[in-house]
Order: sequence, then C-alpha cells, then structure tokens
Amino acid sequence: MLRSTIRHAAASAVVLAVIAGCSDIPLQPKSDITSANIFNDPSSYKSFLAKLYGGLVVTGQVGPDGNPDVRGIDEGFSQYVRGYWQLQELPTDEAIIGWGDVGLPEMNYQTWSSSNPFTTAMYGRIYYQIALVNEFLRETSDAKLDSRGVSAALKAQVHQYRAEARFLRALSYWHAVDLYGNVPLTDENTSVASLPRQAPRLEVFKFVETELKAIRPELPAKSAGANYARASQAAVDMVLAHLYLNAKVYTGTERYADARTAAEAVIAAGFTLDPSYRHLFQADNHTSPELIFTIPQDGVRTRTWGGLTFLVHAAIGGSIDAGAYGVNGGWWGLRLRSPVADRYAAEPAGTDARAAIMYTTGQSRVASNVGDFATGYAYPKYSNKTSAGVSGSNADFPDTDFPMFRLADAYLIYAEAVARGAGGSATLAVSYVNMLRQRAYGSTAGNILPAELTPQFVLDERSRELGWEAFRRQDLVRFGQFTEAGIWEWKGGVQAGKVTAAYRDLYPIPANELSANPNVKQNPGY
Amino acid sequence: MWRKTFVSVLASLIAGSAALAQTGTIAGVVLSSDGVRPVAGAAISVVGTTRGAMTGDDGRYTIVVEPGTYQLRVRRIGFAPDSATGVVVASGATTNQDFRLSVTAQVLSEVVAIGYGTTSARDLTGAVSTTTAREFNTGRVVAPEELIRAKIPGVQVIDNNEPGGGISIRIRGGTSTGIGNAPNDPLYVVDGVPLQVGGGATAGRNPLNFINPQDIESVTVLKDASSTAIYGSRGANGVVIITTKSGATGPKFSYTGTASTSRVTGGPDLVSASQFRAAVQQFAPFRSAMLGNANTNWLGAIEQDASGMEHNLALAGNRDDMRYRLGIGYLDQSGVLLGSNVERASLSFNYSDKIHNDLTLRSNLKGSRTKDRFTPGGVLGNAIAYPSTQPILTDSGTYYEFRGNAGQPITGVPSNPLAILAQLQDEGTTLRSVGDIEGEYAVPFISGLTATVRGGFDVNRADRTTFTPTTLYSQRLAATPGNIYRNIPEEQKTVLDAFAKYSRQFAMLSSEFDVTGGYSTERFRGDYPSISVSGLTSDLLGLYGIPSSTDRTPLYNVQEWRLRSGFGRANLSLLDRYLFTATMRGDRSSKFSPGHQYGVFPSAAFAWRAIDEPFVKGRTPLSDLKFRIAWGKNGNLPFNNYAGFKAYTIGSVTAQPQIGGEFVTTIRPSQVDPNLTWETTTSTNFGVDYGFLGDRVTGTIDVYTKKTTDLLFTVPTAAGVALSDRVLTNIGSLQNRGFEFAIDAKLFDGSDKRSFSWDANFNASTNRNKLLTIGRPGITQILTGGIAGGVGTNIQVLQPGVPILSFLVFHQIGDTSGVPIYEDRDKNGIINSNDLRPFHSPAPKWIFGHTSNMSWLGFDASTTLRAYRGNYVYNNVSSNLGYYNILTQGNAPTNLHSSVLKTGFRAPQYQSDYYVEDASFIRMDNLTLGYTLGPIRGMNAFRVVEGARVFGTIQNVFTTTKYTGIDPTAGLNGIDNNLYPRSRTFVGGISVGF
Repeated sequence: MLRSTIRHAAASAVVLAVIAGCSDIPLQPKSDITSANIFNDPSSYKSFLAKLYGGLVVTGQVGPDGNPDVRGIDEGFSQYVRGYWQLQELPTDEAIIGWGDVGLPEMNYQTWSSSNPFTTAMYGRIYYQIALVNEFLRETSDAKLDSRGVSAALKAQVHQYRAEARFLRALSYWHAVDLYGNVPLTDENTSVASLPRQAPRLEVFKFVETELKAIRPELPAKSAGANYARASQAAVDMVLAHLYLNAKVYTGTERYADARTAAEAVIAAGFTLDPSYRHLFQADNHTSPELIFTIPQDGVRTRTWGGLTFLVHAAIGGSIDAGAYGVNGGWWGLRLRSPVADRYAAEPAGTDARAAIMYTTGQSRVASNVGDFATGYAYPKYSNKTSAGVSGSNADFPDTDFPMFRLADAYLIYAEAVARGAGGSATLAVSYVNMLRQRAYGSTAGNILPAELTPQFVLDERSRELGWEAFRRQDLVRFGQFTEAGIWEWKGGVQAGKVTAAYRDLYPIPANELSANPNVKQNPGY
Repeated sequence: MWRKTFVSVLASLIAGSAALAQTGTIAGVVLSSDGVRPVAGAAISVVGTTRGAMTGDDGRYTIVVEPGTYQLRVRRIGFAPDSATGVVVASGATTNQDFRLSVTAQVLSEVVAIGYGTTSARDLTGAVSTTTAREFNTGRVVAPEELIRAKIPGVQVIDNNEPGGGISIRIRGGTSTGIGNAPNDPLYVVDGVPLQVGGGATAGRNPLNFINPQDIESVTVLKDASSTAIYGSRGANGVVIITTKSGATGPKFSYTGTASTSRVTGGPDLVSASQFRAAVQQFAPFRSAMLGNANTNWLGAIEQDASGMEHNLALAGNRDDMRYRLGIGYLDQSGVLLGSNVERASLSFNYSDKIHNDLTLRSNLKGSRTKDRFTPGGVLGNAIAYPSTQPILTDSGTYYEFRGNAGQPITGVPSNPLAILAQLQDEGTTLRSVGDIEGEYAVPFISGLTATVRGGFDVNRADRTTFTPTTLYSQRLAATPGNIYRNIPEEQKTVLDAFAKYSRQFAMLSSEFDVTGGYSTERFRGDYPSISVSGLTSDLLGLYGIPSSTDRTPLYNVQEWRLRSGFGRANLSLLDRYLFTATMRGDRSSKFSPGHQYGVFPSAAFAWRAIDEPFVKGRTPLSDLKFRIAWGKNGNLPFNNYAGFKAYTIGSVTAQPQIGGEFVTTIRPSQVDPNLTWETTTSTNFGVDYGFLGDRVTGTIDVYTKKTTDLLFTVPTAAGVALSDRVLTNIGSLQNRGFEFAIDAKLFDGSDKRSFSWDANFNASTNRNKLLTIGRPGITQILTGGIAGGVGTNIQVLQPGVPILSFLVFHQIGDTSGVPIYEDRDKNGIINSNDLRPFHSPAPKWIFGHTSNMSWLGFDASTTLRAYRGNYVYNNVSSNLGYYNILTQGNAPTNLHSSVLKTGFRAPQYQSDYYVEDASFIRMDNLTLGYTLGPIRGMNAFRVVEGARVFGTIQNVFTTTKYTGIDPTAGLNGIDNNLYPRSRTFVGGISVGF
C-alpha cells in the first residue's frame, strides 16, 4: 500500500509539474517595435537609412549617451569619428593626448596590444556599420519591398537609399583595410549564421573599388542642399582617390595615376576653396564651398561625446579661453607634438594662418610630460563659433560638422600623384599647392617653385594643411615614416622617441574578434 | 499548515486505534521555568514512535500510547528543549509528566518554512537555516537583512552604510557572473509572495525597505538546491523566506521604541593642507597663487551626528479561532552625511481564522511609505577632492569656489560640497504593499488531504526627483543650466498559487508520507515614466514643479514578464529515521522566445537520523546526529525581460543624424540569441546535524559544491554579420565549493531564573568561487568593474580558473622616482595589457560570525562579532587622487590622497596592484545590554504591565583591519569609490508589553 501510494503521488506530482509546460506564453515587448511590423510604417526605410548615417556621428539611440551601439567601451569613446581620428592621429608626430584612460597612453606610444580598447572599439564600430548596411540591404531587396506592397515612388527612393548604404559600407571597408589589413568581408548575401571569411587586403580593396564604381551613377553629383552630408559622386571619388593613393600599401601595386584621375573628377565637380581657412572648422562650416563630404553635428539634435565635441573640448586647456571657441570648458587633453611646430617654422617668413592656430601661451613646444597639458603647443583648430563669431547652439555639443573630405585634400592628392610621376600637369599641381599656400599666407610669400614639389614636400604640406584631420598615420605609412623611420617625442614610449617595429603600420585584429571568429588570423607581429 | 495537518492526522489515527488496542495516557502541563506561565504550542514527542502532541493555550497536553516505558521530548521555539526518560505508562492509566522550559535565544526552531509548506527542523533533509525574532540582531536595524548578519554560515550580508541604501545577500557565493546579466541575489519570499527585486522603484535601494524588521517572526534561508528546487528557475542563489509575526493569545499590546545617534568612524586618508601646499609648489608651481590659507576639513563639514528614532506598536490577540496582529511602525533615521535621511511609516496586519470546521483563512497585509532624502550626488566626491587649503566661505560670507583670473566661473574644478548641499535637492518616496490571502481547506472525506489557494500581490510606486538649480556653481557654464530629473516607476505583480497536500501515517512502520503538488502563476508589469529637463527658466519651484525649460526628454517604457509553474514535493519518513525528499518544479518563463520557455528543476535528498538508531541511541555522548545528502538543479533567470526577441529601438530626438536639410529619427535593429535560456546550477550538499549533552551543544556542518552552466555572458560577436559587437548568450560555467560550520552552545544553562545563562553561537564558512569556462575557445577574459578615473577603465576580470571579479592589475615590482616598474610578464620589453594578471578577488575566503547572549537576574547582554578573511578591495579613492599630474589637470588643483606621498606617482597608475588591498577585518557589529522588569501588577487592576525591558546597544563597536580606505566591506564588488562612510551608533530603547 505504501508503495502504491508513493507511486500515485509521484505520478501526480509529475503531472502537476508538467501542467506548466503545456503551451508557450506569448508575450511580446511593448515598448520596442518587433521586426514583424516595423516596415508597416513606410518612414521606417528612411529611419533605417538615418541609422546608417547616424553610425558615423552618434553612438546609440539616445543622444549624447544612454543606449549605445557598441558595448565594449565607454560610449563616448565608441564614436566613429573620434575613434578613427585617434587611430589616425594619436600615434603620429601630430598629436598627443594627456589622459590616463586605460589603453589611451598606448595610442600615444605605439605600444598597443590586441586587446587595446580603442583599436578594438574602432574595429567594432566599423563592422557594426557594415553589418547594419548588410541588414538594410537585406530588408530593402526588391522581393521584400514587393512583398510589403510599397508604392513605386517609395521603391525608387529606397533604390537611392540602397546606393547610399553601399557607399557607407565601402567607406567603412576602406577604413578597415587601411587600419587592420586583411579583414572579414561580408555583404548582404553573407549568411548571418556563418562565420565570415577573412579576405586578403587585395580582395577588400577590389570590393571597395567595384562597389564605389557600381553605385556612382546612382548618386547625385555633390553632397549639397537636400543631399547635404549624403553620399554623392564627389564623395565616391574622394574615397577612390584615397584608395588608389594608398594602393601600394594595400595591394602592393601603385595606382597613383588612378588617384590623380579620381582627384581630377572631384576638382572638376565645381568646389572652390573657402576664402577663410578657419571657416572650414567652425560652427557654420556647412556653408563652406570647399567641403565635399561632412559628418554633420548639431548641438540640439545630433549630440555625441565623440566627433567635434571631442575635437573642440579636448584641444582646450591651459590658459585658453573656452568661451572664445563657443564651448563651456576644456578637457585638457590634445596637444601637438613638436614636429608640427617645426614644420611650420621651417617655412619662409610670413604669417601662415594655419600656424596661427597654434596656441603657445604658457605652453612648451615639446610635449615633455604626456599628462601635463602645458607641455606641447595647443592646437584649437576646431571651434563651436561661427565665422561671424556667434557661439553654437549648445556649449557642450558643437554645431560644427566634421570635414571628412575637402577640396584642399583633392588638390594635394593630385599634387602628390604628379610629384610621384603619375602623369598630370606639374604646373597645375604647383598651382593647386600655391592656391592653398596663398590662402594660408594671405599673399604669394609662401608660394613654391615647381622644383620644390617633391613627394616629401607634399607629405609635409598635407600635415600643415590637413593637420588633425585624420590623415596623418595613413600618410606616414604610405611614405614609410610611421614606424621604422621617423622619430618624435614619446614614440615607442620614451620621451626622446625611438623607432618601432614595422608591423605596427597595421593595427592588430582585436583579440575579441579572434575569439569570436576562428576564421580570422592575427596580423603578423602581434 | 504542515504541523496542523500532522497533528490532526495523528489525533485521528490515535483515536481510531485507541478503541481497539490496550492503551494508556501521558498527560501533563508545560510551564515556563518560573513555573508561572503556561507554554502554549510546545511539541511533545514520544521518542521512537510517531506519537506526539502540542500543548494548548493552558500548556496542557495528552498523548495516548501503548503501555510501556518511554522517553518524551519537548520542544518549543524560544525555549531550551527538554526531555524526560523512563516514563512508564500502564494500560488504561494516565501518567503525569510535567515540564518546565527555560527561555533561550538560541534554539533551532521547530517549524521551518520551506516554501509551499513547513516542516520540522527534525525532518529537514536540505541545508536550511532559520533565525527567529529572539535571535535577531538588535539595536538600530533599518534593513531586515541586518537581522541575520553574522548569524548563518554561508550567508554574507553586504553592508551599505547609507540608511535605506541597497544591501545585498550572497548565499554560498554568487552563481552568476555579477556583471548585470543575471542576479546573484537570492529570491525573497515574504509570507508566500516572491518579491520583485531590482530595478524600478527599488533600484539602488534596499528591496526590503518596506518591511519593518519588528514585524518579522523569522527569516529562513534555503541554501542548497534540494531545498530551493521548489522555486525552480529562481532558486539558484538561494531563497530567503521571511515570515511575519502572527496573532497570539491576547489581546496584548507591545511597544518598542529606540533612539540612536551615529557618528562617522574612519575615512579616506587625504593629505594635510601643508602637504598639499608643498606638493602644488613642487609639481604645479604656476598654481600656487590659487591656494588659500585655510585648513578646512571638508569631510568633517559634510558629516553630522546622525540621530534616529523608532516607534513600534503591536496589538496581537485572538477571539476563539480568530487570531490577529496589527503592527504599526515609524522610523526616522538620518545618515551621517548631511542631507540623507529615511523616514518610514509601516503597517502590517496578519489575520487568521477558522471560518468553518474545515476551512482556515489567513491574510497578511503589509504596506509602507518610505520617504528618502539623499545626500546630493557629488557632495562626498567633492568633499574628498577639494583641497583643504581652500576655505568653505569667502570673506563676504558666500560659498568659496575656484574662479578664473577675472573672477569668472570656470569648469574643470571641484565644486564646493556645502554649496551643493545647500542648493541641490534629491528626494524620493516609495509606497509599497505586499500581501496575500490564503484559504486552506481540509478535504472532509479524505483524511490527510488539504488544499490551499493563495492570492498575493506586490505593488509599488515610487518617485524620485532631483533638482539642480541654475545657480549651482557647476551649472553656471552648463550649456543648459539648471535641471530636474523625475522618475516615477510603478510596478505590480500578482501571484496565484494553488496546491494540495496529502499526508498519511503508517503507524506500524513508524513511517509517514506526504506529498504536495501545485500550480503557481505570476504576472509582472512595470511602467517606467521619467522626465528629464534642463535649461530651467526658474529655480523657484524647486522639486515641486517643472517650469518651462529649453531641453525636455520624457521617456516611458513598459516591461512585463510572466511565470507559470507546476511543482511537487514528496517526503517519506521511514522508521522515523530514514528521511527522503524529492521535489520537482516545471517553470515556463515569458522571458525567452517560444520553444525555449520551459524547464524542469528536480531535486532529491536523503537524511538519516542516526541518533534514533538503536545501536547509537544512548551509547554515545551524542544527543542528536543526523546525516543529510542532497542533490538538485536550479535556474537563474536573466534580468532582461525580452532577451530572446529581435526588436527595433527608436532613437531619441537628440540622436538624430542630419540627412540633407532634415534631422531624422533612427531605428536600430537588435541582435539577440533566440536560443537564450536560464543559467542552470546543479548542486550537491552533504551535511551533519549534531547535538551533545542533551542538546546543550548543537550544530551543523555542511559541505557543498555548486556548478553553474549555461552562464549568461555578453560575448563578442564575429564582426560583419552580427548587428552588435556583443550578444547575450548562454556560454560558460562556474563553480562554488564551500564548507560551513556552526555550533550553538549553552555554556551556562540558566536553569532557574537566578542563575547565569550564556548561549554562544559560532559559525564559520568558506566559499571558493571559480570561473570554469567562457565556453568559446578564444575568449580568455571579459573585463568588468568600472572605476572612477579614466573613462571606461575596468579593473576586474572574468577569466577561467580564477574567482569572478578578480582584480586585473599589473604587478608592481618597484618604482623609480615616481614611475612604477611593472613586471613585464610576456618579456617583450613593452608594458601593455598583455602584462596584466588576475590578482585576488572581493569575495571573502572565510567568513566568521559569533553571537553571545547572556542573562542573569533581569539583566541580559548580547554581542555579535564578524570577521572576514581573504577579501580584497580596490582603493579607488587612493588610485584616483594618488598622482601628482592631477595638480596640473583641470582648471584648479585637485586634492591628493596621501598614498601619493609614498608612491610619488606622477601619472595615474589605475592598474597597479598597489591599490588592491587586503581588507580582512574583525568587527564587533553589536553590543547590547538590557534589563527586564518582571510582570508588574499595578494598583490599577486594568493596567497590568506584563514586562518591560530597557536596553542600550552600540553598533560597530570596533573594526580592526589593515585596509586603509573607508570600509573593508566596501560595497558589493570590492571597489571603494567614495563610499558612504561607516559609523558607530549608540542606541537606547525600551520595550513594554501590556
């Protein structure tokens, strides 16, 4: 009797326990929109496209922070422009940052490891952008659009959105191939369940080139008016120009002639030099006729701790009056290393407006103490004041747009290609350079002679003209002066500076990626 | 419930058999040791049989047994157990056996709550510890968790010195990673209602704030999986069952009131004014002119002697079978930092009645209103960071602030903490009610079957408003000065339980069997509206209104979850000494995507009451000996309610990129793992309960091992396909192993009122936590533990082979003129993150607790001591203010931690192991002295004071530690960053019963 009682009791206990297992509980999130119905609203396509552009400027779904896209790092650090700028500037002879945040000193010294948070975050940001574009393309295929019964007008619009999305993806792949070398290559056809394959640099190079050429006809000529800050043919040409300019580094094969051709296309597109050099970096720089592609910020609507917020605040410290730059305070971080001042000083007499940006009061020329803002000249190049001297709409978050590509860059690409003997007109090249120098000097005092137009001169001129515009590392690598050659203070982690190993021309593939994707192999040396 | 059923079943069995067999009777009365008061509810058992009885209100009992010679045992909560041997019962006769029980504070309680029922301590098969009201810590107790601190081995109560601040309990270490994916906190069940804990109204505050500790009858901690498996997917971190006081024979009024005062003890070790001046002159001479001539103790200026008072009134009584208790409590407690205060009014009502022969109705209702005032954010940090060379007030009597050369406001400087205190306001109110109503029906035609239906609720509504006026110094240069943040979470949860229990005796075999089975469903909904505005046009409304403003961000979010469960438990007691328990719970949680919602959590346990074996009984000095072995499986649900659902999140108006001429709101798809499920913990427990010298010495020893699999980790995804660089997934495993030891001794038994009584308890526990795997070959580390100083700097790591949250630091092997030399572990000539190593962890390796209760004549004394060994703390105040470059950063020099005088660091060295300090300590948490006046038969016959006790308590009498920071118990994760200071508290109180 005891046994049967136990058996019955046990059986009924099991039955009771299983009652709960009968059926699933259908409970959908209420405060988020599910993927099933997001595209019931036709405006979702534009909102998704906005997320792709937003990936370059904001860090998540709440501005300036609160719901980040990239989670391996502090949200402010994860911003695209900030991350890209730091990777292209901090390890070079142009910039040094005084903060002790973990991983940041390694950027000053070229001593990063594969788990450096900044190199990892940039990688994550680039591939976040790429994955989002892929998802956008999957969700906007003709088949999907037809199945949702979208109107013909919307369909046409979405077609342009798709070309813009592909531009953004190509832009990011260019960054990836430049910073990390052989990288995973995925597009909208890659299975999301698969582990991506690591593509050789050449293949990524070709992908970017092919994509850009394919979408070029579908885009407007310039990023202006209703297309402001959107993908355009001129923006495509600028990416191509840079891609070709560095082709030797990326693929082993020189493509300087193609770089020149791409630059010519941009120059022919009708941009003009801004009469005011300073205006290019001010709160109303969206009105500048020189800017080809920008990443716009706004103090009210587009808030981030990266981008111009970082570039304006971090460069202010010491006795600089933050109010003169339209912000409420400095972050006491970024200064110049001494080679920048030396390059300006090496120039003929005259006042170079570009050198005048340097702030030297209370600052020493050499950045002798990394953590002390007073060492190294300050360089408050970016400002939240308009050209009329009016402060931007918000003293924390500048209205200033990041000038990713501008005409001066195209001129210098043309000049470098010519100087490297890739055809073109030497006269034209010299005149382009002199146009920049005349703007800088306000006279012809700084003009160069054709004989002075050497590749090395262009490299130096790029630093003078495009300093702190996120080109320096790329330029130095192209000239072989980033690691094994070239010495500046704190390079290699010692104040006197020392050469570093050539493998540091590339950043390491993040340790996180190696663990998540066994198909990916580390760059040599790391 | 269990006991009632047990008794009634027993009674009917006895009644049935009495007519048939030859029987005799044992009868008697159980009185208190003074021989005056009858002891109701004492359990008399006839050793070696299943016979027994409970005393009635008059203390009397009757047991019918077969003729023979017996040993009787009597137990009652709050009294020392007693026994009588050689009780001879003749057929048809009545043998008288009276008992006198002495009061004690240290007795294993007879009835133990085990979830959906109770059992007797004797019949327990799992690792369960109960602490009852008599054993609770006394003094100024704001949080219920403090009642059991240092009482139960394996239970770590993690302090929070802020009144009403979040206190955490860790039972046998955490089964999760402690990085916010899934809880490490136990499940709290108050009078049968599982509480909603964490987030919303309770965010950052103690989730049990709403309970008046004075209303609590007992706190039972279920430690091993065999006992917690009945709570299935939420039991992995243990279960804390809180039972509130219920009605008693009465009516009785009681009043307890205390008044207390607290003063800060200890604090961060900052440089003196002269040391600071010297450092500025040496390392930042250009700033020497900014220094004042003051010698300000900034910390002293923001501290206060905190007063507190508490009044508790209870009325308990009965009428026939109806019992009731009404408790009213009021607490007003200030913190030792200016501006912090908690005020709580609480009400509890417990009712039970047998409304019909077979139907008992019970209800417990609790409600409270807690009003918190918070020391504004930044006050403590600025008081620490403000150089002592600067004065509090300027000559003109206004608050001093660092200013520019032209006297203009500047940023990047510390703010005067007293100016913040005077202007910033931060207040909140929490209303919470938890209650249940329960009907228990003894099914009339099936003897031994009872059915229970219980409906419960847990609702809370809170608000918290922070007002930062435009006049605050730090706002002067803000883009949009002046702001108000108001957050109004509202949460409601309902529980419906239906379960039945069938029990049956098998008298021939001295065996009994019971089975409980039931169904439970819980629904939760939380509404989270908030508004944040900045750029106030007026400061005049303060906290109490939002004037027009330039920036406004209203947010609103709804969260829901449901849980549907079936559960069952079977107990079998064979020959009164072989005890078997099996439980099973099936849970279906809405948190996971369809197809992954259901899980089953089984457990099994066996206990052997060796003491009742004929070959043991009476042949050893032992009076109790029980061996327990248990195995079980539990779950741990993630915090995220929709972790398995892919969704699109809409961007805010301040995160709109510009496309052409317009700003466009974004949408973002999420990356989820649709196969997500709970963490599963499998644990095994082996235990011994022992007693010597007639149970004058009792105790337990437990050894356990717990392994958690399917650990929830946010892991890096493969680049290029995932829509996020991280995804939450079930990957990895960890292990906790431990040993627990407890001994209770009645050193002096105080057998009569005049003699000295001393009960002492000592417990020790050790837990070794280790992450086993992160489940994916290449992932060697996951960083966590953000610190102050350095944005995004993490100081802790999850790494296989080491305890969770181990500190990840450089090994500092020397220094040269202020530059540390770190060990180059990979010997490549470069010091970078590859040279970091895991180094100690915040979890104590050993926890010791001691409690002594003494009484003599009317005097009583008690003390609680606590010690940790092997817990480490990262001294973030020291690392963040311990380098000279800080003097040149910002627009004004920031104060220095005195560690810099030793290290001489120029640049910050956040990742040096120098800052990881051994925080082992010994602390006397509590010392109480009391005097009780016996019953006073007053002149007025209607007013009889039953007893009165006056007492005084000192809390945190002393703390001995090598740790140099604020508090060696430093918060949850061992990072000491501007912690609320600890204090010493003096309490005086009186309790009176009428």
